[in-house]
Amino acid sequence: MSAQLLLFQVLNGVGIGMIYFLLSVGLTLIFGLMRFVNFAHGAFYLAAAYIAYAVVLWTGSFWWALLFGPVLVAILALIIERLLLRHTYALPHEAQILITFAVALIIQEAIILIFSPLGHNVPVPSALSGVLFLGPYVYPSYRLAVIGVAALVAVVLWIAIERTKMGSILRAGSESAEMVGLLGINVDRVFMATFALGAALAGLAGVLVAPLRGVEPFMSAEALGIAFVVVVVGGLGTLSGALVGGILIGLVQSIMSTLWPEGAQLMIYAAMALVILIRPTGLMGRI
Amino acid sequence: MIDRRRVLTGVAAAPLVLAAPAFIRRANAQSVVDVAGVYSMSGTFANVGSGLNDGSKWAIEQYGSAAGNKLNYVLLDDRGDAGEAVRKVQEAMTQRGIKHVIGCTNSAIALAVQKEVYARKGIYINEAGADEITGKDCNKSSFRWPVACYSAVNATVRPLIEKLPKAKRWYTITGQYVFGDSLLSNCKDVFKEKGIEHVGNSYHSLSDREYSGYIATAMAQSPDVLAICNFGNQTVDVVRQAISYGMKRNTKILAVWSTGLDQFQALGPENCEDIYFGANFWHGVDTPGSRRVAEIVKQKTGDVPNYLQACGYAVSQILIEGINKANSTEVPAIIKALEGLSYEGPTGTETIRPEDHQVVKDYYLMLGKAKSKMKDKNDLCDVVAATKAFLPPEKTGCQMAASL
Amino acid sequence: MQALERSPNLATAVVLATLIVLPFVVPATLASQIAIFATGALSVALLLGAVGLLSFGQGLYLGVGAYVCGILAKDAGMGLIPALLMATLAGAVLAGILGSVIVRRHGVYFVMLTLAFGQMGYFAVLAFKNVTGGENGLTGVPRQFDLLGLSIANPLAMYVFMAGAFFLVFLLVQRVIASPFGSVLAAIRENEPRSIALGYAVARYKTAAVALAGGIAGLAGGLHVVFLGFVPPSDIELEMSQRLLVIALIGGIGSPGGALLGSAFYTIVSEALSEIWPRWLALIALLLIGLVLFLPGGLWSAGRRISALFERKTAHE
Repeated sequence: MSAQLLLFQVLNGVGIGMIYFLLSVGLTLIFGLMRFVNFAHGAFYLAAAYIAYAVVLWTGSFWWALLFGPVLVAILALIIERLLLRHTYALPHEAQILITFAVALIIQEAIILIFSPLGHNVPVPSALSGVLFLGPYVYPSYRLAVIGVAALVAVVLWIAIERTKMGSILRAGSESAEMVGLLGINVDRVFMATFALGAALAGLAGVLVAPLRGVEPFMSAEALGIAFVVVVVGGLGTLSGALVGGILIGLVQSIMSTLWPEGAQLMIYAAMALVILIRPTGLMGRI
Repeated sequence: MIDRRRVLTGVAAAPLVLAAPAFIRRANAQSVVDVAGVYSMSGTFANVGSGLNDGSKWAIEQYGSAAGNKLNYVLLDDRGDAGEAVRKVQEAMTQRGIKHVIGCTNSAIALAVQKEVYARKGIYINEAGADEITGKDCNKSSFRWPVACYSAVNATVRPLIEKLPKAKRWYTITGQYVFGDSLLSNCKDVFKEKGIEHVGNSYHSLSDREYSGYIATAMAQSPDVLAICNFGNQTVDVVRQAISYGMKRNTKILAVWSTGLDQFQALGPENCEDIYFGANFWHGVDTPGSRRVAEIVKQKTGDVPNYLQACGYAVSQILIEGINKANSTEVPAIIKALEGLSYEGPTGTETIRPEDHQVVKDYYLMLGKAKSKMKDKNDLCDVVAATKAFLPPEKTGCQMAASL
Repeated sequence: MQALERSPNLATAVVLATLIVLPFVVPATLASQIAIFATGALSVALLLGAVGLLSFGQGLYLGVGAYVCGILAKDAGMGLIPALLMATLAGAVLAGILGSVIVRRHGVYFVMLTLAFGQMGYFAVLAFKNVTGGENGLTGVPRQFDLLGLSIANPLAMYVFMAGAFFLVFLLVQRVIASPFGSVLAAIRENEPRSIALGYAVARYKTAAVALAGGIAGLAGGLHVVFLGFVPPSDIELEMSQRLLVIALIGGIGSPGGALLGSAFYTIVSEALSEIWPRWLALIALLLIGLVLFLPGGLWSAGRRISALFERKTAHE
C-alpha cells in the first residue's frame, strides 16, 4: 500500500471516527449520569433518520429536517422517560436495559408500519453535494460538513459540561446522584433532561447520516453496535471517551479495510472485549 | 391477511388436526389444492418477503384455478427464521397434507425447505439466488426461477466488455460470503478468458455499512470499471458511497446483482445515472408474460411491478403451468410436465431445464439514464443487453435422481 | 430478580403436567420447538436467577452446540447421543474458557462482554464458511436418528425425545440449585463481597455456573439441529440471545419451570399473533414492558400468586 493511500486511509479513518463520535456521544452521556445502557439509542437514531426522510420528502428542505429530527426525538424520549423509565430507577439495572430494549423494538416496528420495510434515499442537500479536492485527495463535501458538525458538537458539549452550571450538575450527578439530590437539586429533572439530550444527539446523528446511508428500518442495529463499541473502548460516561473511542474505532475500520477487510468486524469486537478485560473504564475513563 | 382457517388450526384446533385425516376435511369442498407460500413477513428480510408474498398471492388469485382445481394460497410466515420455515413446512405437509410449496425469502431458507419438501415427496418452486439450489443441492422436487451467479456475471460482464473495449482494468468489491465469493470467482473466470486485468479486490463482510476505505483503495488503482459483487442493501450502499467519492467521473460502475426497480428507487435518479446494473426482471420489457404480471399489479397497487412482485408471481406461475400441462395435481406428474416446459413468463419465453430444474431465462444488463430523459418516475434505467447465459448442466454439480 | 426456588416438588409436577398436555394442545412440531427453546432459556434463567448474571450472549453457545452437533453427525457420521454429548461439551468448554475471563467484570461490563463475544462468534461462523456453510447455514445433516433402535423421525416421537431431554436438564438444574454449590451461588448473588470475605473462590464458582449454562445452551443447539436437520445461521445471531432472554423473563427466572412456561407462551403467542399482524414483535415488546413494571417474576410468579389465593380461600373454608 502506497504512503499516499495510507495517509488517505488515516484521514478517512479520522473522518469516520468523528461520525462515530456523533453516533455515540448520546449513549455515553446517558450512561454517565443515569448509569444504565440505553438500548433504545439506535432506535432514536432510526426515528430521526426517518423523520428527516419524511421532512425532506414533503418540504424539500434538509434544514427543516435538521431541526425537527432531534427535537421530535427529544420529545419522544421525554415521554418515554416520564411514562416508563421513571418507575424503574429503584429497580436493578436489568430493568432499564429491558425497557429500553422493548422500546427500541416498538419504535422499529412502528417505522415499518408507517413507512414500509423498504429502504429509501435521502438526497444530500444540494448546497453540499459534490466533492472537494484537497490536494491529491477527493472527499465528498457533505461528509466534510458532517465532520465539521461533529467537531462543533464536541466543542459545544465540552463547554456546556465543563463551564456551565448545568454541566457541573451533570458532572456531580455522575459522581453521586444521591449527593446532588441532597444538595437540593431536582435530580428527577436532571435525569429527564439528560435522557432527552442523549436522545437528541442520537437523533442529530440520525439526520446527518441519513444522506450518507439512506434509511431502512434495521439501520438501528449498526448505530447501537458501533455506539457500544466506541463508548466501551473510549470510556463509558465521558465525553472525551466518546471522542477518543470514536476516532480509534474509525481508524481501525479504515486501515483494516485495506489490510484485512474480512477481519475488521471481528477486530472491532475483539478490541471491545480486550478493553473491558484490561481496562474496563476505557481509555479515557476514570476509575 | 387474516385467514380464519389458519388461525383456528394453529391456535385451538390441534386436537382436530391430529384426529382428522386430511381427506375427511376436504371431502365436502370442491376440489381445492392448497399452495403453501413460505415467506418472511417480519424480521430483517421483511421487505423482501412481503413483496414476494404479494406476487405469489396475486398470481394465484389471477389464475384462480388449475386443471379444474380451485387454488387456495396459504401463507407460511417464517418470521425470518429458517428453522421456523422448516418447522412450518413440516407441519403443513404432515398435518395438512399440503404437497405444493413455493417461495423463500433467502437462500438459507430455500436450501433447508428444499430438503424438507423432497423428503416428503412434495414439489417446491423457489426464488433463491445461491448456486447450490440447482447445483450440488439440487433435487427432483425443486425448481428455481431466478438465475444464479454464473448467469448473472456472464450476462453482465461479457456484454459490458464488448461495449467498453478500451476498459481493461477492472476492480472488484466483494461481499465475503458464499454468494459474493461465487460472483467473484465467476468474474475472475471471465476476466481470464477475455484478457481483462483484475487490478484488485476488496472484501467486505456481511454487516458492513461503511465502504469508504474499500472505495479509496479501489480508486487508488485507477480502474476502468468497478464491479460490485454482493447483494441487497450492501449493493445500494456501495454504489451510493462510490458516487459520493466522485468515482463515477473516471470509472464505470457495475452492480452485478441487483433487484432492479426497488433498488433504483432507493438510490434515486441522480445516483442511478450512468451506473450499470444486472437484473432478473424489468417492467419495461414488454412480453405477453410481463403484461399479465403488470395487469394484476396495476390492479392491486396502481403502479408497475418490481422484481419482488414479478419473482413471487413467477414461482406461482410455474407451479400452475405444471399442473395445467399435467392436467393433474399429482406431484410426480407435475414434475414430469415441468421438465422441458416452455411458457410465457415475466421475461418472455422461459424454459425449464430438465437436468437441474433451472429456468432458462434472460438476465438483463441495464444502464441508468439521466433524469431529464426519464419518461415517468419509474423509467430509471434502459435495458442494454438481455442474455441467457447458463452453465451446461454437467458443470453445475447437480446430480438429479431419475424419479421422485 | 427473585431467587430460584429450593422446593422442587410442585415445580416438577407442574412442568411434567405441562409437558404431557402440550402435544394435545398444539401440533407436535410446535411442541418440540417449545421444548428446545425452553432448554435454551434455562441457560439464561440459571445465570440470571441463581447467580444474578445477565447474559446477552447465550446464543453463542447454542449456535456452537448446533454447529458441532451438525458437523459431527454429517461428516463424522456420529450417532444421536454422542453428537448431542459433544454439543453439550463444546458449549460448556467454550463457556468455561470465556467465562473465566468474563466473570472478572461486573454489572454492565459483564453484559457488554457477553454481547461482544456473541458477535465475535457470529462473525467467526461467517468467516469459516467452508465448514459452517456461511450465510446459507449448514445443510445435509442426517434426519433419520435412532434412539436405542427406535426411530424418532415421527413428530410425536421427536417431541417425546425433546421433552425428555428438557425434563432431564430441568431436574439437573433443580438439583444444582438445591445443592451446596447452589447455595454458594445464591450467596454470591445476594452479597458478593461478603462471599469473598467468607473465603469462597467466587470467580471459580461463577465460571462454573457460566460453564454449566453454556453446556445447557450447547445441548439446546444440538437438539435444534436434530429437530431441523440443518443449522440456520440465526442460531448464533444476536437475535437468538435476545429471544432466549425474553423467553426466560416472560416465564420467570425465579424457578427453572419458568423456562418452559415462557417458551410455551412466547412460541404460541408469536405463532398466533404473526398470523394476524406481521408487526407482532411490537406486542411482545409491550408485554415485556408490562412484565418488567408489574410482574417481574414472570408467568411463574403469577401462577404462584394465583395458587396462593386458592390456598387462602380453602384455608378460610
